[in-house]
Amino acid sequence: MDPIELRLPHTLQRPQATSNHEPITHSTEPIVTGTSVVAFKYKDGIMMAADCLGSYGRMAMFRNERRLMAVGKTTLLGMSGDISDYQHMQHTLENIMTQEYDMDDGQRLGTKSIYKCISKIMYNRRSKMNPLWNSYVIAGVDSGEKVLGYVDLIGTTYESPTIATGYGSHMAQPILRKVVEGREDEITEEEAVKIIEDCMRVLYYRDARAFNKLTRAKVTAQGVEITEPYSLETNWDFAESIVGYGA
Amino acid sequence: MFLTRSEYDRGVNTFSPEGRLFQVEYAIEAIKLGSTAIGIRTLEGVILAVEKRITSPLLVADSIEKILEIDSHIGCAMSGLTADSRTMIEHARVEAQNHTFTYEEVIPVESVTQAVCDLALRFGEGAEGQESTMSRPFGVSLLIAGVDERGPQLYHTDPSGTFLHYEAKAIGAGSEGAQTELQEQFHRDMALADAEVLALKVLKQVMEEKLSNTNVQLAKVTEQSGYHIYSKEELQEVIARM
Amino acid sequence: MSSLLSHEIGYSAPIEVHNHGFSPYVNNEGTSLGICGEDFVLVASDTRQSNGGYSINARRSPKAFELSNRTVIATTGCAADAKQLVEDMEQRAQYYVHKHGREMSTPAMAQVLSQLLYTRRFFPYYVFPIFAGLDAKGKGAVYNYDAIGNIECVSHYAYGSAAALLQPFLDNQINKAHQRGADTTAKPSRAQAVKLAIDAFTSATERDIYTGDWLEIFIVDSEGVHKLTRELKHD
Repeated sequence: MDPIELRLPHTLQRPQATSNHEPITHSTEPIVTGTSVVAFKYKDGIMMAADCLGSYGRMAMFRNERRLMAVGKTTLLGMSGDISDYQHMQHTLENIMTQEYDMDDGQRLGTKSIYKCISKIMYNRRSKMNPLWNSYVIAGVDSGEKVLGYVDLIGTTYESPTIATGYGSHMAQPILRKVVEGREDEITEEEAVKIIEDCMRVLYYRDARAFNKLTRAKVTAQGVEITEPYSLETNWDFAESIVGYGA
Repeated sequence: MFLTRSEYDRGVNTFSPEGRLFQVEYAIEAIKLGSTAIGIRTLEGVILAVEKRITSPLLVADSIEKILEIDSHIGCAMSGLTADSRTMIEHARVEAQNHTFTYEEVIPVESVTQAVCDLALRFGEGAEGQESTMSRPFGVSLLIAGVDERGPQLYHTDPSGTFLHYEAKAIGAGSEGAQTELQEQFHRDMALADAEVLALKVLKQVMEEKLSNTNVQLAKVTEQSGYHIYSKEELQEVIARM
Repeated sequence: MSSLLSHEIGYSAPIEVHNHGFSPYVNNEGTSLGICGEDFVLVASDTRQSNGGYSINARRSPKAFELSNRTVIATTGCAADAKQLVEDMEQRAQYYVHKHGREMSTPAMAQVLSQLLYTRRFFPYYVFPIFAGLDAKGKGAVYNYDAIGNIECVSHYAYGSAAALLQPFLDNQINKAHQRGADTTAKPSRAQAVKLAIDAFTSATERDIYTGDWLEIFIVDSEGVHKLTRELKHD
């Protein structure tokens, strides 16, 4: 009798060399992806937003993905890129935060420590040629200081008053540099919400992988607050004047 | 007392109820059976001197080597089970070369001494993470002499892995008498030439045989020429000054 | 059957080159330079970090660091690797203090850096460091390295996206290259070195899109490390 052959879907197959000539490969591309994360510093802390779409290639597959999360009580994390790698990171962070909680020593990991920790995880994985295919934006108020940092699948890190990942680095970052740079300590929460919604609206209009359902979050000295998913007012009147678009 | 002791002196890693490691203490005793070795530090450099026990007229005296070079700026005299020193000297030499390779500078004398002492307690069953190479403590004591940017230095190591910084030190069978003599004769600003003579004088007092240029070894470590072991002629010149 | 045959006739299928799809490196660009004086050294880097394309990641992401109170390091290349390398160096310097009870000398640190780079010979740090400090006699020393640890002690050096702009300028101004009758042995004064660094970078920002935003200058002398910051073009 022939042995039963079990074939896994191609995305679940173990990484292996299929012949003597092929090198071992791990992730060579992301599968289900989230698009831009936009974030910037304002008067009280940091404002961040990301939409709720999980794309499977060009297909808008999952419409209720949460890409902003709190790590502990005082750190906000936003993610672009592969969602399964993000879930792996979530588990890792949950384990780390649980271990820290179990210490019961009254110490809590600050945003800078969490940023460093995520950066090391990302750099170590890239050094094993097995990256987590993500860009992360880490934000928080650490000992009274606003921290806003970025780390990607190579382990590249930088801190900046304005950060936008993926398509957002082309579409939202120029807006933020114009409106926010130099005014990080002046912008009120009300204005910050307007700025970030403007960015998200532009992205929804122009980024084919963006979606008009998003979560917005702020992190201040008081902690993290993430909104429930909501939609932005959009205006498609201009479509009428474009030949070949719609009606 | 002897009974209690015999119960706790078998395991090399077992403390006695009084808090002693008998095997280590016995190892320290073993050094007192060894030939006498002397080290004297002066501001110009350090002198090392050892006696060689020529147990038979048929023995080739040159084959006994109790002063060895660790690096061009560090020398070492020994007493006790000199065979054990081979492992330690080997380790010290590797450590010194490694340091030069990594940092492009000579190793500090204290660091080489520390490196040797790190070996001392690696006996018995072996602690977690490090392989044990010896089943018993080393039975040898070293006088490590060297010059670095902190000037001429003399260190003494024993089988417990303790090292101490000395101005003048005697080890081995004649160490008690020799040390007393050094305490009386040594002074901090003595010349290197005087230290050469003092070392041999003290050795002469504790040696059974008549001191000659075949039954002692003499070495110096100075800023100018580093480690140098005296030839028969150089030794004879010092003996003539005694 | 075909595989059996291929063994017999010594033929094997051409090796297919697979696209890995993942490159562990990115060149974050930017420029660093080092100038050696008689009793001081100067190291300068811009703080712009680019993403390897036309985007600016951050305007203020330093790539030059103080390693001890007598040494500094400036990097260019992959920022992630540079960060790791600098942290390694800091760790080695601290460990040396614990082990030998004194601070590592400048030549010792220069050698350690070379070896750290060489240990990664077959998966290199994509970093081109300039390392500088005062030696035991208080004289300035500037070292430059390639990504795998080749080391050279020089009077001045420039690495990074505007290196080809800075290097000939420094050759001319410091070594007096192509200046007939000039004193080629004189080393620059501290004021001259600072002026050269600022002029070199301001000029570079006009021609190199990867250099700009801010200039950080470190000067090491017998008193320690001094840091100056100057604004560069933000465009």
